[in-house]
Amino acid sequence: MRKTQSWFVLLILLVIAVILSFGLGPTGFSLSDLRIPLEVRLPRIILGIFAGGILGLVGASLQGLLQNPLVDPYTLGIASGASLGAVIGYLFGRVGVLTVPVFSFIGALTTMFLVYNLARVRGKITKISLVLAGVILSFLFSGIVMLLMVLTRKPLTEIIYLLMGRLNIVFTNESLISFIIIFILSIPVMIYLFSKWRSLNVLSMSDEVAESLGVETQKLTRNIFVASSFLIALTVSFTGAISFIGLCVPHIIRLIYGPDHYKVLPFSFLLGASLLIFTDLIARSIAPIELPLSVITALFGVPFFIYLLKKKL
Amino acid sequence: MFAVEVNNLSFSYGPKTILSNLSVRVDTGDFFGIIGPNGAGKTTLLKLIAGLLKVTQGDVKIFNESINAIKMDKRARWMSYVPQENYFYFDFSVIDVVLFGRHPYLKEMERPKKSDIDKAIEALKFTDALMLKDRNIMELSSGERQRVVLARALASEPKILLLDEPTSYLDITHQIDIARILKKMNRDGITIVLLSHDINLTSMVCTRLLLLSEGKMVVCDKPEKVIKTEVINNVYKITPHIILHPETKKPQLLLPE
Repeated sequence: MRKTQSWFVLLILLVIAVILSFGLGPTGFSLSDLRIPLEVRLPRIILGIFAGGILGLVGASLQGLLQNPLVDPYTLGIASGASLGAVIGYLFGRVGVLTVPVFSFIGALTTMFLVYNLARVRGKITKISLVLAGVILSFLFSGIVMLLMVLTRKPLTEIIYLLMGRLNIVFTNESLISFIIIFILSIPVMIYLFSKWRSLNVLSMSDEVAESLGVETQKLTRNIFVASSFLIALTVSFTGAISFIGLCVPHIIRLIYGPDHYKVLPFSFLLGASLLIFTDLIARSIAPIELPLSVITALFGVPFFIYLLKKKL
Repeated sequence: MFAVEVNNLSFSYGPKTILSNLSVRVDTGDFFGIIGPNGAGKTTLLKLIAGLLKVTQGDVKIFNESINAIKMDKRARWMSYVPQENYFYFDFSVIDVVLFGRHPYLKEMERPKKSDIDKAIEALKFTDALMLKDRNIMELSSGERQRVVLARALASEPKILLLDEPTSYLDITHQIDIARILKKMNRDGITIVLLSHDINLTSMVCTRLLLLSEGKMVVCDKPEKVIKTEVINNVYKITPHIILHPETKKPQLLLPE
């Protein structure tokens, strides 16, 4: 009974987010002319559900796997690799709708392999080595991004949006097809993460006990790392690194619904999707120019998160 | 058939030898205690038996099957392992924690069934922890938590229960509680391998004792044959007084001045 109720609340929240985001905007909404809602706002909504959901899901999976409340989808360095790829693509690539996403994706996947190999000590991956390798590479890549930005002296505004997140995707035939391919590719990977809910629960009792109960912890760690990195690589390539959603959504869900990953994983997807759509709506409504999404998630998300923590304590 | 058979087992972490050429047998239905000074290799031995460390030299057999060849699920159904430190990262409810013990019986993505919940409740009843069912694991006292951990181990319906210092953080009341629960499990047919620093407690509950020192077996026999002044003196370098318990007639150790 309680479970159906909770699904319902999150679902209603998502529906409200979608309706508001579809209807609101500088040009308003009228049934006689649906061009702007359909061509401009709908793609943002679809991308928002996709990216926000993945941020929530991956954040929840990684916090469960690494048992670290500060872990978010970017801790493992994937986003900084994607950012570096995006900046290289933007500065040196041939101009095209897909240049930045493709470079970004290559950067993210390269980082994934680097982090994985750095984290492997005597053939074994540990939680702490994964986090350390990710954080170290993040610093390196952020440094290189800054260096490139300074050296090439191009206007920085566009790069800031690349780095700080945006949903203003323009669907040409080219990008629409690649988005559909990405969408299809990511579904089995997301299902894999959802399917690991019980292993993640058991893992909360330490690796040893989990292993004595039949969970292959090394394999699980590797697979969740690769699946998470892959999903984040896909989203960051299109949206840039949107901060905070992947960190705080799993915490909010756990505060409300408890730690069972059977609920935490799908509910984090739903809440992540709603929050990102709201964020985008705010980002394009409150200022004369559209704001980078990470600015909004930080300005609105942090106080809300503090409120939740205090209320719980 | 032996529940656990250890043949010529050696183990080292890098250059440091932990166990050398150890051979031990645990009968089915035994209450088997492992004692020995710090660093004797007790925990390593228990983890090798549990399959948590890979056997590279020698052999460990569980019910006549080599541990390296037993599938993980089957191993998890045969043996429950309770470490010394029971740590929980998330604040699950007690019934959820006990249901984790059903993991080896459930298929991928399967939710625990009614029968699994019944088994979990049965296990909680057995360890006298049913009233904790809906509490959260992190708010329990050490004694309550240990009873829940034993229920979790029992919910896997193991044939063998491996315990690493199950009473080390408990006061005497709760030590006796745990000892009684373990004896009851043993009477129900579960083979128990228990590792402890508490020589008196192991003397009271165990049918046989293995005394380890520096990775080697000193003696493996009934408590009366192990807890003797000269044996203890040899290994622990102290000269204790050994007396017989007035009720159970089991040897008990008094520390020297």
